[in-house]
Amino acid sequence: MTLIQDTAVATSAPAARPRRRSGRREGRTAFFFLLPSLLGVLLFLVLPIIASLALSFTNWKLLGKPAFVGFQNYIRLFTADPQFWTVLRNTLFFTVEYLVLNIIISVGLATWIASLKRGQRWFRVVFFLPTFTPGIAVAIVWMLIFAPGGFFDFIMKSLSLGVPNLLTDQTLAMQAVIIVSLWANVGYNTVLFNAALDMVPPSYLEAAKIDGASAWDRFWKIRLPLISPTLFFGTVMTAITSLQVFDQIYVMTRGGPGNATATLGYAIYQRGFQNFQMGYASSIAWVMFALIMALTALQFWLQRKWVHYDN
Amino acid sequence: MKFTHQLAALALAGTAILSTASFAQEQVNLTWQMWGDEKDTPLFQSLADLVTAEYPNIKVTPQFSGWTDYWTRLPVLASSGQIADLVAMQSMRMPSFYGVLEPLDPFIAADNFDKSAFESSIISGLSQDGVQYALPYDVGPWLMFYNRDKFAEAGIAEPKPDWTFDDFKAAAEKLTSGDNYGYAVQAFDFVAQPIALGAEYFNDGNQFDLTNPGYAAAVGKLVDLVAVAKASPVFASGAGAQTGSGRFAAGNAAMVIDGPWSLLTTQASVGFKVGVAPLPRDEGPSRYITAGSGWGISAASQHKDEAFKALKVLTGPKAAEILASAGRALPGRLAEQKFWYDVAAKDIAGARETLQYSFDHSTPFRLNESWNEFENLLTQYLPLALNGDNTTDAVLADIQSQLP
Repeated sequence: MTLIQDTAVATSAPAARPRRRSGRREGRTAFFFLLPSLLGVLLFLVLPIIASLALSFTNWKLLGKPAFVGFQNYIRLFTADPQFWTVLRNTLFFTVEYLVLNIIISVGLATWIASLKRGQRWFRVVFFLPTFTPGIAVAIVWMLIFAPGGFFDFIMKSLSLGVPNLLTDQTLAMQAVIIVSLWANVGYNTVLFNAALDMVPPSYLEAAKIDGASAWDRFWKIRLPLISPTLFFGTVMTAITSLQVFDQIYVMTRGGPGNATATLGYAIYQRGFQNFQMGYASSIAWVMFALIMALTALQFWLQRKWVHYDN
Repeated sequence: MKFTHQLAALALAGTAILSTASFAQEQVNLTWQMWGDEKDTPLFQSLADLVTAEYPNIKVTPQFSGWTDYWTRLPVLASSGQIADLVAMQSMRMPSFYGVLEPLDPFIAADNFDKSAFESSIISGLSQDGVQYALPYDVGPWLMFYNRDKFAEAGIAEPKPDWTFDDFKAAAEKLTSGDNYGYAVQAFDFVAQPIALGAEYFNDGNQFDLTNPGYAAAVGKLVDLVAVAKASPVFASGAGAQTGSGRFAAGNAAMVIDGPWSLLTTQASVGFKVGVAPLPRDEGPSRYITAGSGWGISAASQHKDEAFKALKVLTGPKAAEILASAGRALPGRLAEQKFWYDVAAKDIAGARETLQYSFDHSTPFRLNESWNEFENLLTQYLPLALNGDNTTDAVLADIQSQLP
C-alpha cells in the first residue's frame, strides 16, 4: 500500500507529460494482468453469444453444415409455431406468480427471523440450506412425492381431499413446479432481506416507537423503505432466474401434461437437443434474451417510484 | 541327420522372421462408443478382446455413457470430430443419425459378408433408404410381460400367442382392484399396440397422419382402458416419473408392454414369475414391430477397413453367443438365438414360443426423421387424454399440428 502511494506521489510530482506516459505504461501492465480473464470472457461468453446470434439465422441441425435462412426462424416462431404463444404465456405466468410469492414469503420469513430473540443464525442456515442443494436433486425428490400414486396423493387420499394428481393435471402441474421452485429458492432472498433488515438503524425504530407508531406502521413506513434497494436487487435477480426456469420442468413434467408447463427455457432444450433444430432453438434463446432485457429495463424504470436510496 | 536338423532350424528361423515381419504391420487402436454402465464393462471388454485375438494388430477400447446421455452426446461428438471409430446405433434412431455412419455396403460386397445369418427385420431396421449402416447385435419385438402369479391367483388363463384385445381388456379389468392395476400403460404402447391392432400412424408418403380413423380408434381403445375402465394408472410426463415397468416390477401392475432386452433383468429383480405373450391383436391377423441395436463405423473414422474387421468379430457368432448366454441380448444372429432361449431365458414361460410367433408375424417398423419429436410429444400430451382432460381426437390433432 505504501509502495503504491509512494509511486503515486513520485509520478504526480513531475510535469504532465511524463505522468501521461507512465499512465499508459500502467495501463499496459493492467492489460496484461487482466488478459487471462479477458480471454476467458471473450472465449466463453462473447464468442458463444455472437455464435448463437449467427446460428439463429441458419437451419443448423447439429449434424451437417448450417445454411443461412435469413429471418425464417423468427418468422416461423412468431407466425407459424402453434406452441410459441402458449410457451410465452406459461413463462410469464410462472414468473409473475413465482416472483410475487417468493418476495412475500421471503420478506415475511426475514422479518420473522429478525424479530427473534435467539436462534436467528440457526433459522438463517435452515432456510438457506435448499439454496446449496443441487436443483436437479431437489426436483427429483419432489417429483417422487408428487408422482401418481406417490406420497402427496397418499396424504390427500388419507385426508379424503379430492385433490387430483398434481403432475397429470393441466392446471395444477404449474402450481407443483412453483411450489418446488419456492421451496428451493426462497432461502436466498430470505437471508438477503434478513441481512438488510439487520442494517436498519435501531434508533429509527425506537424513535418511531416513542412517537407511537404501531409495529405494522414501523414495518411499512420505516423498515420496508429502508430495505427497498435490497428488495429491488432481489426482485430483479429472481425475475431473471424465473424467466429462465428449466431444471424443475425438465425433471418433473417435461413441459407436460400437454403444454401446461412448457416454458421458454424448456422449449430451447426441446427444440435444440431433442429435435436437433439448433438454429431454431437459438432464435428462441434470443427472444428470451430480449424479453429478459425488456422486463429488467422496465423494473429499473419502475424503481424510481418505490426504491429509496439514502443519499 | 544332423544336416537335416540344421536345415529344419534354419527353416524355423526363416518362418519366425517372416511371421514377425507380418506381425510388424501397423498397430491400430479403435475406439468403440456405446451406452451402458460400469457393470457392462467386463462383458464388452471380452468382446473387444475377441477382436485382438483374431487380428493382433487391432485393439478396441470400449467407451460407455448412459442411455439418455448417449443420444445427446452423439451429435455433439460427431459435429466436433470426436466421435469413436465404432458407434452403437439403435434401429429407431437410425433416421436421425445415419449421417454420422459410413455405408457398409461396399465392405459387405468386398467381403462376401452374409447378411442372411441375421434376423431380417433388424437388418432392415439398421439400414436407411436401402443402405446398410450398422450390423445388429440384438433384436426383439415388443411383448406383453405378465405376472404369472397374479394370473393364477385371479384364476385367469395365461394368454395364448393369438389372444385378442378383448381378451387382454377382460384380463386387465379382472386384475384391477383398489391400488393394484391389471396393466400399466406407457407412452410407447401407443406405437407398438396400434400396429398390432392393424393401424398405421404414417400415410403412404411416410409422413405422420395421426388423425386417420384407424390410428385414432386404436389409441382410443388404450385410452378407454385407462380413462374409462381405470384398469391402468395414468403416466406422468416427467423424466423421473415412475414408469409402467417400475410398477410391474413392484407388483403394482399385472401387465406391461416391454421388450426381450429387459426381460431377464426384470425376472432377476422381482419376486414373482414373469411370463411373456405377443401383443394382443384385433380381429385381423397379428403383426409386430421389432427394434434392436447394432454397431456401425463412423464416417469420420481414419481406420475404416480395420473397423469393419473389428465389426465382423463384434457381431460374429462367438460374440453373439457371449452376449446371449449372459442374457444381455437376444442375438440378431438367428443361429445363436438358441443360447438366449436355452441358457438365459430358460425359466421364462412362453419366451421361445412368443418370440418366434412374433418374428413370424413381424412387420417393418416405419420411421422418419421426426420420430424423436413424435415420441416426446406422445409422452407430453397423452396424459391429457388418459386423465380425461381432453378427447383422444383432440390430443392426436394437437400432436399432429406440431409435427412437420
